[in-house]
Amino acid sequence: MQNYSIGRRSATAGLAMTALTAATRPGFAQAKLPTLSIVINNSPWFDGFKSVVDRYEKETGNKVELDVNPFGGSLEKQRSSVRSAKGQYDILIMNSSWFTEMYFGGFCEAITDVDPGFKLDPGIYTCDDTCFFDPASKTMTAQGKLFSMPINPNIPLLYYRGDLYKQRGLTVPKTFDQLLANAKALHKPPQIYGIAQRGARGVAAVSYDFYPYLFGFGGGLFRDQKAGDYTVLLGNDKGHAAMEYYMRLFREAGHPKAAAFDQAEVLQAVATGKAAHAIAVIAAWPQVDDPSKSAVVDKMELAPPPSLPGLPTSPALGHWLAGISKNVPDDHKRAAVAFFRWFQTADAQIFYTRAGGVPVHKAALEHPMGQERKFRWMKPMAEALPYAINPFRFPESPEVVAILELGINRVVAGETTAAVGIDTMTDQIVKLMTEKGYRTGRG
Amino acid sequence: MALAYADRSFRWVTLSPAALFLVVLGVLPVLNLVAMSFFTIVWKNAAADWQPVGLANYAAIPGDPLFSAGLRNTVVFAVASVAIQMVLAFFLALWCSQVRTGRTLYRTVLILPLLVPGIVVGAIWKLFLNPEFGFLGQMLGVVGLDPIDWLGEAQTALLAVIMVDVWHWTPFCFLLLLAGIEGLPRDVYEAASIDGARPWQEMLWITLPMMLPTILVTAVFRFVVAFKVFDEVYLLTGGGPGTATQVISFTIYQRFFTEDRAGFGSAISVSVIFLVCLMLVAALAVRARLQERPA
Repeated sequence: MQNYSIGRRSATAGLAMTALTAATRPGFAQAKLPTLSIVINNSPWFDGFKSVVDRYEKETGNKVELDVNPFGGSLEKQRSSVRSAKGQYDILIMNSSWFTEMYFGGFCEAITDVDPGFKLDPGIYTCDDTCFFDPASKTMTAQGKLFSMPINPNIPLLYYRGDLYKQRGLTVPKTFDQLLANAKALHKPPQIYGIAQRGARGVAAVSYDFYPYLFGFGGGLFRDQKAGDYTVLLGNDKGHAAMEYYMRLFREAGHPKAAAFDQAEVLQAVATGKAAHAIAVIAAWPQVDDPSKSAVVDKMELAPPPSLPGLPTSPALGHWLAGISKNVPDDHKRAAVAFFRWFQTADAQIFYTRAGGVPVHKAALEHPMGQERKFRWMKPMAEALPYAINPFRFPESPEVVAILELGINRVVAGETTAAVGIDTMTDQIVKLMTEKGYRTGRG
Repeated sequence: MALAYADRSFRWVTLSPAALFLVVLGVLPVLNLVAMSFFTIVWKNAAADWQPVGLANYAAIPGDPLFSAGLRNTVVFAVASVAIQMVLAFFLALWCSQVRTGRTLYRTVLILPLLVPGIVVGAIWKLFLNPEFGFLGQMLGVVGLDPIDWLGEAQTALLAVIMVDVWHWTPFCFLLLLAGIEGLPRDVYEAASIDGARPWQEMLWITLPMMLPTILVTAVFRFVVAFKVFDEVYLLTGGGPGTATQVISFTIYQRFFTEDRAGFGSAISVSVIFLVCLMLVAALAVRARLQERPA
């Protein structure tokens, strides 16, 4: 056995090199950080996030605790934590439907306030600039402070049966007329329905399903939220046309139980081969190609949601942002920043993608792995993402969503007509926004 | 005299901790709820800003579409489910009181649904009623009928929830009524038998009148609980389709928690507490009248 002897000079040089290497790896060589506590929802993309957290722990030696909850339960726990004197969670994984509540309520600490040297990687998709916030002007633009790290730029895409398209010689729909024609062509109930729509009432169910149609028709909810103009556009011609089309799709090619279909039922219909189309979130994709959960493995394809001719695809962001709780100790906030610094690297994002996550970094979305069959969702995702719209930029949005959820669900359930439903919702939203003191009216 | 005074003082001293505990745990939260109902609560700079709004929250209740739908459905749900449960439970209890062999077994089997946690009830019935994969749908298919989407159709959804509630809560009524029937004096029946009374006459003129206080208490208790129904609706239908199964507790949940409107949610909660108290007072008055009646 050979003996190695290390001289004092060599040892010192070695230690110095180790220290230098550690110091130049950004964020990975800080003083021992406390265990990071993250509250998160148990959505279909959770496994990917869990894998990336495991990798972070392995690479850095830092510890992370995940508190995993159902969608609504996560919000409740976050509210309870941020409203107490001492927060339970360091990082809040916030959905697009409630991050404004956390920003406006003063519950999040700006990342750059915790670490002024932190820079958002230029490759990170900023989700319609919703990761920025200016507490003084209450606006979300790139000029604001960095208030959160995008975690999942979740948007809906058009899922369609590629195998049936090939058999019938159909082309991928770019317009709503083409979608209706294709859905009708494949509509053979009860064996298969042309499209599965998410018509149930929930926290953000049927309204979220409707947005790609509303925006794709050139309509919108408010005129210009960024400029403080909350004139309600839902009841204009475009809003009416979008709702009429949504219902026509339902009547002529939809699943008859759409009024009770939430995301789970839509995905069930897709995975069991009962739906030829669905506009569903990309985060659900891993289930569709998982042989243990799906009967249509390798048969589904994806495309950006259709729109009117001449208009771009317009999916709505249903994204996830990670914010730092204001009411946690400073060393916990620093631990959160250390995680973000690691998470936003291209390497971590590519790993995240391979593990089943939806990346927020351009380097991952445009990675050559997108050519692989397994990652065929990446190209349409990259195409659609630049057009994604964040529907709400004010904290009372849950009340508007509640109006939309009930109103659209009543239309789908046949309790009222599309025209009356749209007008009723518009009036209710105008009333609500007036009561809340916003500049509003019918547009 | 001095001993009686000391005795009274001792009672007060020993009772007061429990009374205080009751006040702190039971009354203060309700008072807090009442106070909250006169405010709109907005969160600013991580602190709650209570803005007084007087009676505005209460004034807004009648115009809330989820409240009116919730109240209507809750009344229909509570009346229908409790009525069916009471009738079923009464006859089950009557029948079981006659059985002499295997009492433990049948009682255990009959009360099983009561022991099932609400979340499991939701899972069992959601699966059972699923039109495509559910047992009921499959059975209808076997006899050549189209499966019915019990929970997805506005016409059948409330009926389905009532059905599930009947399955879940009939054992509770059964237990109380069985205890009541088994506690009835046997000599009255023996006397009636000697007088030649038929079974239906015994039931109509002896069992029912003597059971009336028990029936009333059970029905009132069940009605109050049924009025607060939440888990079955939350798990099975989420209040839909449309507002077909919207119930008042679910409305409170949505307004209070989902939309974070604590003030308005509190106003609805206080109104519901008031309604339930009214029902209890009415029921107690009826019971008192029944007890005053000559035998």
